[in-house]
Amino acid sequence: MRRRAFILTALAMGLGRPAFAKGARGLVIHDSPIPVPALDIRDAESKPAGLDLLAGKPVLLNLWASWCMPCIAELPALDRLKPGLEAKGVALVALSLDRSGKIAVANTFARLGIKALDIRTDETRSAAEKLQAPALPVTLLIDRQGREIGRFIGAAEWDGAEASRLLDALASGARLTPDMAPPPVKVGTAP
Amino acid sequence: MRTMLIAILMFLAGLSAPPAEAADPTGVTGRFILTDMNGRTVTDEMYRGKIRLVTFGYTFCPDICPTILNTLSVALDHLGADRAKVETMFISVDPERDSPAHLKEYLNAFPGIMGLTGTPDQVAAAARNFNVRYERSPAEDGDPKAYSMDHTAALFIMDREGNFLARMPHASAPDRVAERVRSYLQPRRGEN
Repeated sequence: MRRRAFILTALAMGLGRPAFAKGARGLVIHDSPIPVPALDIRDAESKPAGLDLLAGKPVLLNLWASWCMPCIAELPALDRLKPGLEAKGVALVALSLDRSGKIAVANTFARLGIKALDIRTDETRSAAEKLQAPALPVTLLIDRQGREIGRFIGAAEWDGAEASRLLDALASGARLTPDMAPPPVKVGTAP
Repeated sequence: MRTMLIAILMFLAGLSAPPAEAADPTGVTGRFILTDMNGRTVTDEMYRGKIRLVTFGYTFCPDICPTILNTLSVALDHLGADRAKVETMFISVDPERDSPAHLKEYLNAFPGIMGLTGTPDQVAAAARNFNVRYERSPAEDGDPKAYSMDHTAALFIMDREGNFLARMPHASAPDRVAERVRSYLQPRRGEN
């Protein structure tokens, strides 16, 4: 019986998660919000810095890694976005999935001249699996009840006018609509 | 019609072959001659005695990057001491941009994973032997160097002799991959 319930739940989750359709890109808005599982996020001192500490605030959660070029391409936009976004009451968490944790993050931040983003690492290396992220970058839009209401798959121009409509909706709890999708960032010639 | 005939022939061949040889319905032989990220010429034969975890991909992902190497390195962590019995290989389907030196630098982020590349013909032959397809897809803006590579997203587990054991999707959970590998590490009856 429990097994059956599990299978049904899994099916329901599958149906409620169009984000994971193969080859999905861009803004995906969920039909109904999906609770975000507990994540063991750590700060630069390896102290817990999970989303639970941001309870009550909407969150823009970006998953990235130093080996992912499109992730690196969008980090500066997220860095520029952070102060203004936080003034709107939305927390921005850029979570690195790098194996070497804060060393990789600190090196990347230094290389890119990142000023506002905080070091956040996935030391238990389980975030990609828990959040069902088979590819990076992916940015989750999480409402103030801690539920994922949508996600952007791929890199986006997060500090542009289009993104600000999406982020205003996230801040105010308004419904997301497909026309709020920020333009994707394409990585040009390999560095 | 011809496809169907081939399918029937393959089916009949499968029926008549002894069970041990009929175990692989995918036609994966796993043979290759490539260059590893240290610049050495390597063949599948050289990994005899180790279970192999093999995946195909490329490092210059222009829009989204699969987390398969992350999955593999977490799976290796799950294996603990058993990881010494496993060789994990990432075969580039983009030999033009993935030089051995570049692969080595890229795979710094994933200790324990060996990068393999080769001439376009060598890579094509390796992919064929794993039944992996790949295709160059030009960049939208026409930049000739910013192309992407569409490729089969699968993870192969090969036995100590290099024969096919299993094929898993890229999105497999790391603990499931480790569990599967571990199941093949158990000594079989009649073996030590």
